[in-house]
Amino acid sequence: MPNQFDVFNTKKKTAEKQTVIGMVLIGIAVILFLGMQASGSTGFLIFAIIAGIPGLIFAAKGATDFKKLSRSFKQEVVIPMFQEAIPGVQYRPDYGLSEMEVYNTEMLKRADRFHSEDFISGQLESVQFISSDVRLEERHVEHTKNGTRTYYVTYFLGRVFKFSFNKEFDGYLQVLEGGSPMSRRDFKKVKLESIDFNKKFKTFATSELSAFYVLTPDIMESIMNLEKRNPGRIGLSFTGENLYITINNNKDTFELKMFRQIDQSVVDEFRQDLMVIKDVIVAMKLNNNLFKKAPQN
Amino acid sequence: MFLSVGTTVLIIVVALVLIVVFWYIGVMNRLRQLELKVHEAESGIDVALTKRFDMLTKMLETTKGYAKHESETLEKVVKWRQGIPQNATVKEKEEFMSQLNQVASGINVVVEQYPDLKANTVFLELQSAVANTEEHLQAARRLYNANVTQINTIIVTFPQSIVANAIHMEKKAYFEAEEKKRADVEFKF
Repeated sequence: MPNQFDVFNTKKKTAEKQTVIGMVLIGIAVILFLGMQASGSTGFLIFAIIAGIPGLIFAAKGATDFKKLSRSFKQEVVIPMFQEAIPGVQYRPDYGLSEMEVYNTEMLKRADRFHSEDFISGQLESVQFISSDVRLEERHVEHTKNGTRTYYVTYFLGRVFKFSFNKEFDGYLQVLEGGSPMSRRDFKKVKLESIDFNKKFKTFATSELSAFYVLTPDIMESIMNLEKRNPGRIGLSFTGENLYITINNNKDTFELKMFRQIDQSVVDEFRQDLMVIKDVIVAMKLNNNLFKKAPQN
Repeated sequence: MFLSVGTTVLIIVVALVLIVVFWYIGVMNRLRQLELKVHEAESGIDVALTKRFDMLTKMLETTKGYAKHESETLEKVVKWRQGIPQNATVKEKEEFMSQLNQVASGINVVVEQYPDLKANTVFLELQSAVANTEEHLQAARRLYNANVTQINTIIVTFPQSIVANAIHMEKKAYFEAEEKKRADVEFKF
């Protein structure tokens, strides 16, 4: 493994160098351009172009090479590591959850720009799961004296999980750290007997009894612990036989970072992010007999 | 335009009276709504208890084929053979639940004595269904107690207690579950 890391680190350094050279040249070009504006001399403009074009080429090449490197790292290191951690797991870095699946959570509002990647699917302790990184952006339009400016603001960046949840219950239930359900269902706010849980989460359900049925004292404690272990805003949605979990932690998981050494700690971090799935299954007792899907003949 | 002192005092007094009246109505409505929720939750307990009673009765019928004497003895533990009477109090329902728990743990003992029962698919399905009704009963009990806590808190807190006394609203009884007996009915799969 260390030799494999060396190969990746060498390639990464080349990509980083190209990026740095590109950025420096772009910086020089900007300074020269500002100099031209200040002095009115066209000589500055020629030098700005001479520095700017190679700068853009270097920066673009650096970014492309880094992306390629990141992809091959996922193929050669991450996929085998995932398959070792969870036998039979499928990991597709360039594929993500569909928009429909994400909105089926009924916790996330429709985005103007949607992106999803790092799709993971499999079965752990007889519980089927899928998960993916999701980025949701909202379009903003600003009217200024110079015209109209359009920009996008990210309101969700994190992970969405879907687990099979075979505990029979009527209605729909959501446990949210903030906000309210994105649904037209007749959700009512439910107060559970745990004061700490009510302080941390807002519970919405179409049937109060169902909320108490699903959220047993053990499950409430598990949700509290899950929240402590995963920074960011957590949401749980129980719909039909599915449990959706969203973690809005402003983090793009399973991605290499430029200027960060590739070593065992990176792999360990990826593994930890993967094992959140196991953490949910065990903490929420989804592997309990009552929650498991019956084997299909 | 200036108001006379007398008019000003009158307006203040009327405003204060109105505030008190609206507050009184607000608290009274809140108490009535909570009382309704307590009744709803209590009927949830009735439904869960009835389901549990039906399931256990079916289980006893199944065990009769293996252990007739034991099953008939267990049947006698339950006071209400026809289910829960309409006018039953919370305490009586608690007692009924306790009797059902005794029956459930008795069935567990029978299962240990007659291992053939474990191979009976109908019995196994009923066992799973009984475990499920136990979960529903616990949920109904917790919902009921949560609502009772809410209403009792208002009833004992001053100044809302004045309204509660005025409308003769009394503290509601909790539906207790004895931990020991609850542990007894846990099924092993």
